[in-house]
Amino acid sequence: MIFADILIDGLVRSGVYAMLALGFALVFGVGRVLNLAHTAFFMVASYGIFYFVGIGTGMPLAIVLSSIGVVAVGLLLYKLFLESVREMEATVLIASLASAVLLQELMLLFFGRQYGRVPEVFSGFTRILGVRVGNQELATLALAVLCLVGMWVLLSRTRLGLAIRTSAQDPEVANLMGINVSRVVQVVVALGILLAALAGAAVAPLITVEPHLWMDRLVIVLAAVVLGGLGSLKGSILGAVILAFAEAFVVFLLPGGSYLRTAVAMAIMLGVFLARPEGLFGAGIEEES
Amino acid sequence: MAEGLRVQGLSVSYGPALIVHEVDLEVGAGATVSVVGPNGAGKTTVLRALSGLVLWEKSSSRQAGVQLVGEVWFGQERVDHLPAHQIASRGLILCPERRRPFREMTVEENLQAGAYLVRSRKVAQQRMAEVCRLFPVLRERGRQRAGTLSGGEQQMLAIGRALMGGPKLLMIDEPSTGLAPLVKQPLFARIREIKTLGIGILLVEQDAELALSMADSGYVLSQGRVVAQGSPAELLADEVVRRSYLGL
Repeated sequence: MIFADILIDGLVRSGVYAMLALGFALVFGVGRVLNLAHTAFFMVASYGIFYFVGIGTGMPLAIVLSSIGVVAVGLLLYKLFLESVREMEATVLIASLASAVLLQELMLLFFGRQYGRVPEVFSGFTRILGVRVGNQELATLALAVLCLVGMWVLLSRTRLGLAIRTSAQDPEVANLMGINVSRVVQVVVALGILLAALAGAAVAPLITVEPHLWMDRLVIVLAAVVLGGLGSLKGSILGAVILAFAEAFVVFLLPGGSYLRTAVAMAIMLGVFLARPEGLFGAGIEEES
Repeated sequence: MAEGLRVQGLSVSYGPALIVHEVDLEVGAGATVSVVGPNGAGKTTVLRALSGLVLWEKSSSRQAGVQLVGEVWFGQERVDHLPAHQIASRGLILCPERRRPFREMTVEENLQAGAYLVRSRKVAQQRMAEVCRLFPVLRERGRQRAGTLSGGEQQMLAIGRALMGGPKLLMIDEPSTGLAPLVKQPLFARIREIKTLGIGILLVEQDAELALSMADSGYVLSQGRVVAQGSPAELLADEVVRRSYLGL
């Protein structure tokens, strides 16, 4: 029974972390921007759901509105603070971290210290092979799978996907093929924020909405991305799934596990580094020179 | 179909280093022109300037102090202020130094990327057929990852990829680098064949004899300047040029 719970919990976590890690890896791979504010967009989106559902908006519309809002805010922050310093890595780290704290403080300002609970939209349970699975968990998982499959189709089957993949591998040569790499970077930044926003929206009914939500998610995302191999999209998703299941096991099986889960994620990352410093899929990004 | 290229007073410097100095250069519509000269003469930088990559470096602040002056006319249009992707859309297409295939993608995807600007599926398929006729090995290896190809095959892929964009003038940078003589000869035979398709070629090459043998006219570049120009026969007959610049 408990392993069924671990499986469901692990899958839901996997979906959410994979969305976050994929967006982060895309923005890094194409834009070369290590955006520490990435999970802050996730946090703001879950506040968006909390707010819109609170004033009586239906869940689908709440997801659309909060996603649009978060993408708009995210692009604005990117334009204001990150784009002009894109080539200076240390500055990007500091500016993006500052953006995350800014968003955190803004949420504190608007919503105060009280923690938000979003009412479940899909209450009740479904029996799958004799195991009771919460409908909300299933809905969150379905939305995550939908987004991930959508991204995969976009990347592998469309003209924009081709432009994104070539820009990630060799921006100079992509330019020579007539691809407007600067615009591709902007589109990818928007897509990354959208993925983070949708992850926040999907999981909002299952978590407590609070301003520091971005911190341990950021740790997980960083760990997932380097675990999978920096620059590999497949790797980032695999890293997210591994860490999600590790967390699920720790939370369900260890006493006081929910305090330990981030530590365990870090321990796994370090362990992989000792054995394979380039990460699991670490072919690495093509050297430019 | 083909367009002429005219370059006037092109200078490029990186910080205090003057890499290209007041280069004038002309490629008639449909002509083949070779630029030869010793290592470090600035040949690659000339092509990077013409294709918009120097401007790209300059705008992305990747490199400090990039300076670019001079005029570049392609057909009736001045193109030196256009970003790289727009220069490619005019049909002035560079096949870059060191081939630079998209290594993680298949050969077929590389060629599709080359046809990024081609909106019509039919035209793209025709080009693909044409490129595969020119380089049959690309069809055989279509599903293989580009990074697994041999050096010669990667060079064919790079040229094929550039051809997919439908160049009016194809710029090729050092195609023979690192290739065995046995691979070089058939490769250059293919480049000669591209000439007959009515596509102009601006070829930068270290192997001066090979490059000049197939050109309508040639330029010798040394230390960023044009030190000699003329017909291939004249250049190859000039003892001073042969000995001082071409190492022949």
